Amino acid sequence: MAVMTRREAKRAQFGRYKADVKDRGKPFFPYAMFHDTVMSLVVVSVIIALASIWKWTSWAPHHDGTHQGLLGPEYAAPADPGTTSFVPRPDWYFYFLFYLLRIFKWPDSVFLGTVGVPTIALILLISLPFYDLSRERRLSRRPVAVVGAVLTILSMAILTWKGATAKEALASEVIADVPHWVQAQHLPPAAVPGAKLFAVAGCTACHTYLGTGSSNLGAPDLTAIGTRNLGIQFQIRHLQCPSCVNPGSPMPKFASLGTKRLHDLAVFLEASKGGK
Amino acid sequence: MAVTRRPPTKSEVRKQQMMAAVNFPLDWLEERSGLIGGVKYFLFRKVPSDTNWMQTLGSATLTAFIVQAVTGVILAMYYKPTPGDAYSSIQNITDHVTMGWLVRGMHKWGASVFIILMFLHMGRVFLFGAYKYPRELNWVVGVLLLLMGMLEGFTGYLLPWDQTAYWATVVGINLNGTAPFLGPWLAQFLRGGQEIGADTLTRFYSMHMLLIPGAIIGLILLHLYLVVRLGVTSPPWSKEEAGRERVDGDGSRPLPSGLTKPVARGAGGAK
Repeated sequence: MAVMTRREAKRAQFGRYKADVKDRGKPFFPYAMFHDTVMSLVVVSVIIALASIWKWTSWAPHHDGTHQGLLGPEYAAPADPGTTSFVPRPDWYFYFLFYLLRIFKWPDSVFLGTVGVPTIALILLISLPFYDLSRERRLSRRPVAVVGAVLTILSMAILTWKGATAKEALASEVIADVPHWVQAQHLPPAAVPGAKLFAVAGCTACHTYLGTGSSNLGAPDLTAIGTRNLGIQFQIRHLQCPSCVNPGSPMPKFASLGTKRLHDLAVFLEASKGGK
Repeated sequence: MAVTRRPPTKSEVRKQQMMAAVNFPLDWLEERSGLIGGVKYFLFRKVPSDTNWMQTLGSATLTAFIVQAVTGVILAMYYKPTPGDAYSSIQNITDHVTMGWLVRGMHKWGASVFIILMFLHMGRVFLFGAYKYPRELNWVVGVLLLLMGMLEGFTGYLLPWDQTAYWATVVGINLNGTAPFLGPWLAQFLRGGQEIGADTLTRFYSMHMLLIPGAIIGLILLHLYLVVRLGVTSPPWSKEEAGRERVDGDGSRPLPSGLTKPVARGAGGAK
């Protein structure tokens, strides 16, 4: 008898599967459905338990929904586009993406972290059945699949963990550095309000300045931005709409800070000549 | 020999009438829709006798989605998707509406449970090699469901309109904006303008409770249809694995890949 082609072998196997299930299978109801029902009850109970712990450790002690309970607050302070001293944080299942951005932080490779790597990973995931073509289902005979899966799970776990524990400087910590900036950069008094604003307005969530802050999304170090002599007007225009001046810039618009504060920031940036 | 038929007793007559009364609406529905037969087929279809607890993760995910749908409908009755009212309506739901904290808490935490269960379910399918022929399409549908679930997380995160929500979305939209070609257009579309504001909120709200859930429900139906049509796989390590290789006397069956000698699992041969 001729050797079966792969396609014939697959079809034969599925034929055997159907015959086996017909001969020796058990009806979905009540056998499998019993397990499903128990599991579903567990799931609903876990959700109710999480909701209860969240509520009774956040709001209950002080009748304040912004109180940090075991599972976080009920809600943070109201959204305020004006004072951007808030460090952005996605929900936990996006931490891996969030941390990926820190790996690809140079301007030309940002899009690799934001779009490139996730897209390639998604394509590899969705097309898995189209390149893993063997009929073998036992793990011991799928070494490549096992190694791939272990590496995927490890890298997702590490990225999620690093994203969860990434230390962004808080505004209150950054503002303590302002006197040090004034000294190191010989900042004129006119630049001090801008320096304080720079510290609290969330700039250091993406930019570094004299070693403070974290670089994100390809945002450059601003310690010596003043040496480029871009001019106050340019700085203001750029802050108002970064992507208008610098197409493709992922930096958010800060027009909502208002002309006065943008001017202060621009003065500070132009006075930043690199220290020493 | 003639069979003498005694007349049915009163209780037998009552029983027959009762059965007829129960069956009438079912028969009526079956005759006009075939739905009863469909449900019967779904419930009494055979599954391999060795299915195990890991195979409850799919239905557990469905349960988590149903929790999201039900709590989401209730939240939509109280939530106000405008920058002026969103935050206070969330405060009202969480702290003042009767059991509102439970509904919002279940929605908020149910989202995480839903995502975790989707990943676990995907892990089970990978472990079992259940994505292989002829179930390739159902893997694709499953990955699309995972993607839609993550999009639900992204769009829902903005709705409380607090600092966390607002700034996470600012960054999220800017990330989309860095994509080549489509990026700036996509970011503009998500924002509904130049700034994140009222239009962004209603846009996210609409996507979160109409567009994406609609897609998820459609994909779930397709997913279930394929599960019922193609059947559930046995654990690959099972001695009783449905569809396992048997070595036949005439040698017409192929050997499992990687084996050179006819020593297959279930070496007792077909029973």
